[in-house]
Amino acid sequence: MSDFSEELVRPTTEDEQGEPCVRSGSGMCFPWLQNHIESIASGGKQEKDFAQTTSACLSFIQEALLKHQWQRAAEYMHSYLQILEDTDSNKRQGAPEIIWRLGSEILYYHPKSNVETFNTFADRMKNIGITNYLKISLQHALYLLHHGLLEDANRILTQAETWRYGEKSSSQEVLITLIQAYKGLLQYYSWSKKKMELSQLDKDDYAYNTASQNMLNHSWKTSINLCALIQIPGVWDPFVKSYVEMLEFYGDRDGAREVLNNYAYDEKFPSNPNAHVYLYNFLKREKAPREKLISVLKILYQIVPSHKLMLEFHRLLRKSDKQEHHKLGLEVLFGILDFAGCTKNITAWKYLAKYLKQTLMGSHLAWVQEEWNSRKSWWPSFHFSYFWAKRNWKDDKTLACEKALVAGLLLGKGCKYFRYVSKQDHQVLKKKMKQMKKSVKKYSIVNSGL
Amino acid sequence: MDFPSSLPPSLFMTGPLGQSDVPDLSFMCSWRDALTLPASSPQGSQDRAPHVAKDLLWEPDMPGPLPLLPPGPDPWDPGLTAKDLLFRGGYQFRRHPRAVLDVTEQVSRFLWNHGDIAFAPLGRLLLENFKLEGAHSRSKTKTVVSVKRLLQDLGGHQPWGCPWAYLSQRQRRFSILGAPILSTSVASLLGELLHEELALRWERLLLDDVCTGGALAWVPGRTPGAGQLVYPVGSTMDTLCFQKVSLTPESEPQVLRDPGRIQLRGPVRQVVTRSVQGEALLAVRSDHHCALWKVSTQGQPAPLQVLQVDKGATGISLSPHLPGEMVICSRSGAVCLWSTEDGLRQIYKDPETLVFRDPSPWRWADFTAHPRVLTVGDRTGVKMVDTQGPPGCGLLLFRGGAEASCQKGERVLLTQHLGDLGPESLHPMLHLVCTQFSVYLVDERLPLVPLLKWNHGLRSAPLLARLLPPPRPGLPQPLLLAGQGGELQLLHLAGAGASMPRLAGLPQSLPTRSDSLSAFPLLEPKSHRKLQERLKAPTIGLAAVIPPPASTPVLSLFQLSAAGDVFYQRLHLQADPGPNAHDPAASWTPQATACCSRWLEALLEVPLAPPVWAAPTFSHRRLLGGFEPQKVEGPVPEGLRRAMAQGRLLQQRDLGLVPPEERPPVPEPGPEDELSERLEAAWEFGAAAWWERRRGGRVGPGKQPKRQKRRTQLSSTFSSLSGRVDLSDAVSPPPSPDRTVPEARPQPPRTPPSQELTQEPWAQGVPSERQQTLRDYMAELPLHADTPGGASTLSSQTPSIRATPLGQHAPQDGTFQQLPQGDTAEGATLPSSQTPSIRATPSRRHTPRDSMVQQLPRGDTPEGATPPSSQTPSILTTRSGSQRLRKKPRMGF
Repeated sequence: MSDFSEELVRPTTEDEQGEPCVRSGSGMCFPWLQNHIESIASGGKQEKDFAQTTSACLSFIQEALLKHQWQRAAEYMHSYLQILEDTDSNKRQGAPEIIWRLGSEILYYHPKSNVETFNTFADRMKNIGITNYLKISLQHALYLLHHGLLEDANRILTQAETWRYGEKSSSQEVLITLIQAYKGLLQYYSWSKKKMELSQLDKDDYAYNTASQNMLNHSWKTSINLCALIQIPGVWDPFVKSYVEMLEFYGDRDGAREVLNNYAYDEKFPSNPNAHVYLYNFLKREKAPREKLISVLKILYQIVPSHKLMLEFHRLLRKSDKQEHHKLGLEVLFGILDFAGCTKNITAWKYLAKYLKQTLMGSHLAWVQEEWNSRKSWWPSFHFSYFWAKRNWKDDKTLACEKALVAGLLLGKGCKYFRYVSKQDHQVLKKKMKQMKKSVKKYSIVNSGL
Repeated sequence: MDFPSSLPPSLFMTGPLGQSDVPDLSFMCSWRDALTLPASSPQGSQDRAPHVAKDLLWEPDMPGPLPLLPPGPDPWDPGLTAKDLLFRGGYQFRRHPRAVLDVTEQVSRFLWNHGDIAFAPLGRLLLENFKLEGAHSRSKTKTVVSVKRLLQDLGGHQPWGCPWAYLSQRQRRFSILGAPILSTSVASLLGELLHEELALRWERLLLDDVCTGGALAWVPGRTPGAGQLVYPVGSTMDTLCFQKVSLTPESEPQVLRDPGRIQLRGPVRQVVTRSVQGEALLAVRSDHHCALWKVSTQGQPAPLQVLQVDKGATGISLSPHLPGEMVICSRSGAVCLWSTEDGLRQIYKDPETLVFRDPSPWRWADFTAHPRVLTVGDRTGVKMVDTQGPPGCGLLLFRGGAEASCQKGERVLLTQHLGDLGPESLHPMLHLVCTQFSVYLVDERLPLVPLLKWNHGLRSAPLLARLLPPPRPGLPQPLLLAGQGGELQLLHLAGAGASMPRLAGLPQSLPTRSDSLSAFPLLEPKSHRKLQERLKAPTIGLAAVIPPPASTPVLSLFQLSAAGDVFYQRLHLQADPGPNAHDPAASWTPQATACCSRWLEALLEVPLAPPVWAAPTFSHRRLLGGFEPQKVEGPVPEGLRRAMAQGRLLQQRDLGLVPPEERPPVPEPGPEDELSERLEAAWEFGAAAWWERRRGGRVGPGKQPKRQKRRTQLSSTFSSLSGRVDLSDAVSPPPSPDRTVPEARPQPPRTPPSQELTQEPWAQGVPSERQQTLRDYMAELPLHADTPGGASTLSSQTPSIRATPLGQHAPQDGTFQQLPQGDTAEGATLPSSQTPSIRATPSRRHTPRDSMVQQLPRGDTPEGATPPSSQTPSILTTRSGSQRLRKKPRMGF
């Protein structure tokens, strides 16, 4: 065999499950390569009968699952368990994970399965594939949580929390932190339940004191559980939210602010829009100065210009005293309406029509032109086409009027959209139309350019 | 616009692909997203009943898709398979076999079939060393060989490639003299070119990305149920066909006559349609051209623009926002935006890949929720590029790396913007990213962190995806995923508005075209194989429509195969079916089988693809005038001829052979002959006693009972579900009284509990009246047949002599010659994996018949042996290309 063909196909890489997966010259891995090889490998070493039957059984289970034949899948699963006796240690070690994955899937969907069955299965699987103990525990707890069994879930998580096997790997550590955080979240639930009970109690009541004492104890435990996870880069929205709520309740505003600042601004974290939303909402509750709020939303604006908080951002900017904020206010409105999902947002169009007129009246034509220059090549066909004029008028006349005013101001009274809407005869909107025509005549940037 | 107020927890790790120390928190379970924690209070989770509408199913009307249109008149050739390209031996000592290209075999076939091309120039050079008939050479030097004698020596019947074949002295001398020149020069010149071509073909067999995106599209018409299917037809796929189809929820699709056709200049690879602001547009990608049409409401296409892409186009997309905007990607790494107003504009260019270095020139682009921002993708990642910003800048939307917990060797195969499909649909900021392992949903507003990951497990590359609007308000949206091999998967995506996108239930697999085989009438093997091949042709197009609302939503699915066949299937939605709803209800209707028979009749009328290799038309007789081929005389050919002349069966006595008188002796049963003992016992119904006797003497290994116990414990979990009488230990929950026992039969009382496990798989396909007998018999056998003896006897039965597989179909070009059909005598070979070099040397003997010396088809130059340049780039260019690539430092993961 020629030597140079060897370099085309690199040797088999064996991943943890021991599944053969061959990569081609480009480094790409093809899961279907094995079939090609099997189709030609008639001689040589063959798989044992046992391996053949188990792999056939596995594919039967997968097929049954994908056809939603839970009954059949469960029957095959029953047979597949023999893989735990495989003499091939590689396969035997990889088996528990496969069994857990498929088995939990079957038990979740099977019409006759119930929580007890799932519990029995999960408890056994945890101890067969010890390396999967933490993962299975976590998923088991989530399953119980989904079925409303908070106490059972808490018990599972507590068991898992103290579990150790061999040397602590980084993967284990992350999972344990996550398990602790979920436990913390469960404690938060019971805490918020107590908080609700407390709010219904009278402050002078004797019970109030014990209840509040209980809550204090809870919060201390919870904060330890939650804050470890929040330090690890990731998306931890539910954890951050509940942690901050508890900190706020006990008056630790600085702590809460620190957590939120860290969550929003730490470079190692993904740019999560919610992190900024949480921080903004916190500052708003704290009655922070407008300047501060604007600075938070400015960053959110850079990440998600289409966020629904942007309308609020515009209002804040409009109320500000600074010229640059007024300019940004216009930019924000244009930014929202750039997005396909926002084209029918009537509030945004209303704001834009009003603010555009106001800006032009305040003789800031340059601001408008700056925004318009990058959009004049595509906004007319994106927003102000004849198709949209007809459609908007049919669906939502108020929207059509607002858009027509913007179209008139930006494109002049000759534009299709404005002409179509202004030609329509409507009793209720008559006054508005007249006003619109007047404004366009007076302030349109096309007129002023002439 | 709404952003989910609380995202599911996920770990964010940066780094390369295949980091194993990071736990993959997505767990690959379909219901994980259903379990995301309620944000405010635990009350929310208690409200949700555990089994509410989590099982959503699109039930097919028929067991498989049916042909929509009669097959085209042109023959179709399935092309090369792994068998043609890979080395077939040498796996004995490998734990995991690997793919090795079989250049030797291909070279030897080429030398065999096109020996004149390979050896003619050398022959001319060596002419003075040969003595042809008639030429009187007085030279007494030992370097002159008489050709006549040589050929006479070769006249003996020597098996092809047999290393132990008899060699005459003359042949040996010739071999010693000629081998260094003949074998090394030809093999080295040819070998390298051939290897590159083979490598190219093999890569294409593994992943053929030219049809990414799909070449079948649905253009909606004026009424909701009517529309047109647009797809390529013809043997070279260069005619665009506009087939009008009308769909009704109740009946099969009606095909209207006289489809429109447009002849194009190259094979159509991708067809895209969009309706923007009431205007239907159609874009087509060919290898080096892209074209755009506007389709009127009557369905008439009017051309708008044709663009030429010199380096080859890899993908096109139409804008969902602005009518007539189109983005085109080229192999050079450039992405261009074309619009009616501005014309063509390059917006991005980078010959390098985004995340890490990967040699693939494949690029892809699509639109985003912002009409001026595009996604640009390659095999390593996806980037968002602002067309108005400075060139080249943008955020990565998806990174092939630890951020998405990608595996080693994972590559992006398709990205798609899941645009706005109505008010109740998914958020328009979502993008689909498909790799060979998983499907990811990514939100533009939260780049790098996939919101959903699903391990699709398809056995071929998922190059086609279609998202459909929700069939009814409030129901999840179907996302269809098609693998190149024909597999179809349907994902139910829920989460409109401000909620998280998630899987609503386990994805389901849909029937493939191969599943329709049962609808066709029984055929003789050759036609059956032809039909099977045809049904297995790669899927290159997918279109799906949900016609106007009916009582139950119906999904019409159309597939285009590489053979040019359009198949359709109807599926109806079954929301939350009961536990017994999954019986195999669908069966073939008489109309369906009639339709298949008609289609098959038309298919069998299609002529076979003409063989590329043709028998040589001239012989060496011209060169060797006085040479007469050896007359083979004897009783055998004589008898044969006589039998043929009389048109009767050839019998042994015709050949003059004496039939063997005595039969081979029956082997004496040895002292350890367990099998016959057991069989005898079984005949006498004493198998149980026999087994007890056997088992008495043997004790299993110590670990066995423990594992067995563990397994029985586990299996009880499932046995309680599979509705079987559970005799194992009492850990399993008590059986519920309402349990249905579909397959439970009275068990033989002696059955040990754990033996239930093995019962079902073998019982399938056995007549029911025999199942009981078999079951009784099996009950007496050891639980698993994992005794080493049993396994080895089976595997040792595989033949040690293999015939070189002969492809049933002629290859597409001269380089990949196969032997003609039925030519087994020459094709049969011994496994020569130990001595592979022997196969390449031209030292074997052969009958000097016509097949030895071949003539080239007319006008065929040595360069002509490379495939036609329209199909594949010429060898010279690929070689320079691949050399250039090899010089680059490799950084793949």
